[in-house]
Amino acid sequence: MSEPILQVRDLGVRFGTKRGAAEVVNGISYDLHRGETLAIVGESGSGKSVGVLALMGLLAQPPASVSGSVRYHGNELVGLASKKWRGIRGMGIAMIFQDPMTSLNPVRTVGYQLAEPMELHLDLKGGAARQRAVELLDLVGIPSPEARIDDYPHQLSGGMRQRVMIAMGLACDPDVLIADEATTALDVTTQAQITELVAGLQERLGMAVIWITHDLGVVASIADRVHVMYGGRFMEQASVDELYAAPQHPYTEGLLGSLPMPGSDRPDRLVTIPGLPPDPVTMPPGCPFAPRCGYADNTQCTAAMPEMALMAERHEAACYHPIGAGHE
Amino acid sequence: MSDQAPATDDRLAAKPVSRTRETIQTLMANRLAVAGLVVLTILVFVGIFGEAIAPYGINDIDIPKRLTGPSSDHWFGTDELGRDVFSRVIVAARVSLQVGFIAVGFALVVGVPIGLISGYYRGGVDSFLMRMMDVLFSFPAILLAIAILAVLGPGVGNAMIAIGLVYTPIFARITRGSVLVVSEEVYIRAARSLGAGDRRIIFRHILPNVMAPIIVQTTLSLAFAILSEAALSFLGLGVQPPNPAWGRMLAEGRNFFEQAPWMGIFPGLAILFTVMSFNFVGDGLRDALDPKQKSVIESRGQSA
Amino acid sequence: MSGFLVKRILQMLLALFGVSIVVFALMHLVPGDPVRVALGTRFDQDLYDALRERAGLDQPLIQQYLSWLGGVLTGDLGVSFRNGQPVTTLILERLPATITLALAALFIALVVALPAGIISAVRSGSGLDYTVSAASQVGISMPDFWAGVMYILIFSLTLGWLPSSGYSPLSEGVVEWARHLILPALTIGLISGSIITRFVRSAVLEALNQDYVLTARAKGLSEWQIVRRHVLPNAWIPIVTVVGLQLGFLLGGVVVTEVIFAWPGLGRLALTAVKDRDFTVLQGAVLYIAFMFLAINLIVDIIYARLDPRVRVS
Repeated sequence: MSEPILQVRDLGVRFGTKRGAAEVVNGISYDLHRGETLAIVGESGSGKSVGVLALMGLLAQPPASVSGSVRYHGNELVGLASKKWRGIRGMGIAMIFQDPMTSLNPVRTVGYQLAEPMELHLDLKGGAARQRAVELLDLVGIPSPEARIDDYPHQLSGGMRQRVMIAMGLACDPDVLIADEATTALDVTTQAQITELVAGLQERLGMAVIWITHDLGVVASIADRVHVMYGGRFMEQASVDELYAAPQHPYTEGLLGSLPMPGSDRPDRLVTIPGLPPDPVTMPPGCPFAPRCGYADNTQCTAAMPEMALMAERHEAACYHPIGAGHE
Repeated sequence: MSDQAPATDDRLAAKPVSRTRETIQTLMANRLAVAGLVVLTILVFVGIFGEAIAPYGINDIDIPKRLTGPSSDHWFGTDELGRDVFSRVIVAARVSLQVGFIAVGFALVVGVPIGLISGYYRGGVDSFLMRMMDVLFSFPAILLAIAILAVLGPGVGNAMIAIGLVYTPIFARITRGSVLVVSEEVYIRAARSLGAGDRRIIFRHILPNVMAPIIVQTTLSLAFAILSEAALSFLGLGVQPPNPAWGRMLAEGRNFFEQAPWMGIFPGLAILFTVMSFNFVGDGLRDALDPKQKSVIESRGQSA
Repeated sequence: MSGFLVKRILQMLLALFGVSIVVFALMHLVPGDPVRVALGTRFDQDLYDALRERAGLDQPLIQQYLSWLGGVLTGDLGVSFRNGQPVTTLILERLPATITLALAALFIALVVALPAGIISAVRSGSGLDYTVSAASQVGISMPDFWAGVMYILIFSLTLGWLPSSGYSPLSEGVVEWARHLILPALTIGLISGSIITRFVRSAVLEALNQDYVLTARAKGLSEWQIVRRHVLPNAWIPIVTVVGLQLGFLLGGVVVTEVIFAWPGLGRLALTAVKDRDFTVLQGAVLYIAFMFLAINLIVDIIYARLDPRVRVS
């Protein structure tokens, strides 16, 4: 396989709080290759969003402190001077956020906000930038883009605004697009449209995509590989098909169990995972999922975090009692 | 109506009251607010026992010692009649606080009910009351106070009424705004659907939930009411001689400013510190009582 | 936009109507006979009768109000009880001094408040922020009469740099005009600036915490580009409101500052009228100031609508 665009090694984020240090992201590693879609799945508070914000250098330090390494085309991003960052953000790596209602500036037109990264990175101004902005709006499926470009965000629906956000992300042909819960704030129909849109654009433009979501259902249709995150760590990583067919980590199983799936042979009743995600300030020493896990023992699981171990080809899980081991 | 229903909705509505402890803790963590509280406590003490603490009588005239500078005998110096400036500053604290509290009390007693009625009943009553408040709001504060005093005649009591009237529309508007928001809350609708009467809803459910902004505004208004009283007394429309008032002392001191600047400096500092203390406490209360603002400060670290 | 404007103008007219009643009532709420009170020891039967008739005080109240209102609408505010001069003339004479002081003070206020407020918000939590906050807290709590007196003590009595009082019209030379203007403008400008600083800081801070700022960062904009292009355009909206309020307050005549510096403005006119019990002048001045106050509020609303597309484009 070719050199990855993005190489994340042992990325950690720690927040200083009044109650003590909070280990919000704890040593996550992954590679992202050209044209690949990688999903990071986890509940809110699992550290998935903080992880990508750290990758983008968007966390204020302090209170956050970022450790580990992120290499983008071989160049280290952790600790990069803010001046150099500006050439990467919006240019090489673009990001779409959760809430399109608040992520666009209410007093600037759609066209202004779209043209901004082009002006900044591509030195495109005036008519040329406007031309490209119209093309981008067309690309993301906004009808009559010439008319919409002078609109203000409040004149557009939520789905339209998220399309604008995507267009803005694509403005400078980035090779990585990060979508942070990009469909969460939208209604179900719009969610599906946006997911398809990103999948289609990725194929046409050859970008790599990191898709952050709490919803395994969204992942199924678009991702190549999935990382399941819990308590700031990766619990399991596999291809989408593998993960659905043979989840190894009890937490993944729980996530899949709480997912309604028509036509599957799973029981009709939705399974919920009892308990709450762990508090990052008082994180237990062992597996963070142990207190909620039906398979956990009182020795290994609560003593030390299990290592990531190979379960099948390109399928790893960090668990002392993986499902495949066949316990009842 | 069952007997149980009111108990349930009371519990829902009582939620903010249980926050009192947290509010006090947050307030105590704010050093400026604590400093303000300390100064105000001393001030109230001084206000009550003024004459007993003061080393001299406020009108002890001592012509030979007139216009002498600060010394161990006269900490703040003496005025043109040889009266002790320190004693006069101390005794004048009372009238400042009195005017402040009574004027703001007046504004509260008149303004809050107007806001409650406006926000709760809406419609024509609301429009009428709010347009009336608009009229009062159309005058710069000090000018309105002066105009009212022109009618009522100068004096402490009238100054209280004038300042109170000036601050009434602020309380009416703030209360109305909060009532409009709170009335939409589920527990108010629930109470209504359970058949609770208007008066019960207003006093048991709405009022406790709109107290936070009113408390904050009260504290900040106290600061500005004291400032207004000082200004009116400075202009000769408030406290009348021979009673000492900070604003008056400053006005009198102005004539002797070159020889005896202390006559104006110390009363001015007294006003400055008093007003600043109320402002510190008001700001502290706002931070402690307004969770929205709190989250703005906390969330800043996350997104910056 | 136009609907919004029409509504605001109607509200202003309604408030003006209320103001006119309040101002009219001023004179009639005074215990006793206002003309007799105003004349005091200079009582003269002929003058008394003339003033009473001129003010229409022998007619029914509603009639008096209507004729007074008619006069107001045609620019006739009556004559002074004190010296028989038309009130409109008295007000117009005072206007240049008041406007000069108001604009100079607002200029000082903005020069201080905009940079201080913006920087302390952008660097919130820094030492600079605390310094700015502390200074503005002192400014807000500062009695204007004390500040003015202190400036006089320092800059005119001790250092002798500037005159301690009076107004010199621009027509008599820029230098004298400026020398007389500095202290009163500073007195009120710094206090006003402290108030505006706090609003600027909180408006900018609020805007900085919005999601679109994160979007802008993710686009690769620098911190100051973000402030300039995204934060300030949003923060202006609340800032304009408070600046407008301050201007209204300054144009209303800063009574105390005018008294200290013997500044021949509207505020001092009103105060002198109170002391002389010259109610026609007081009425005129108060009415005029309230009108200006409301007019500025209306202008603020118009600017507000221009700045906020959510109001402008509906």
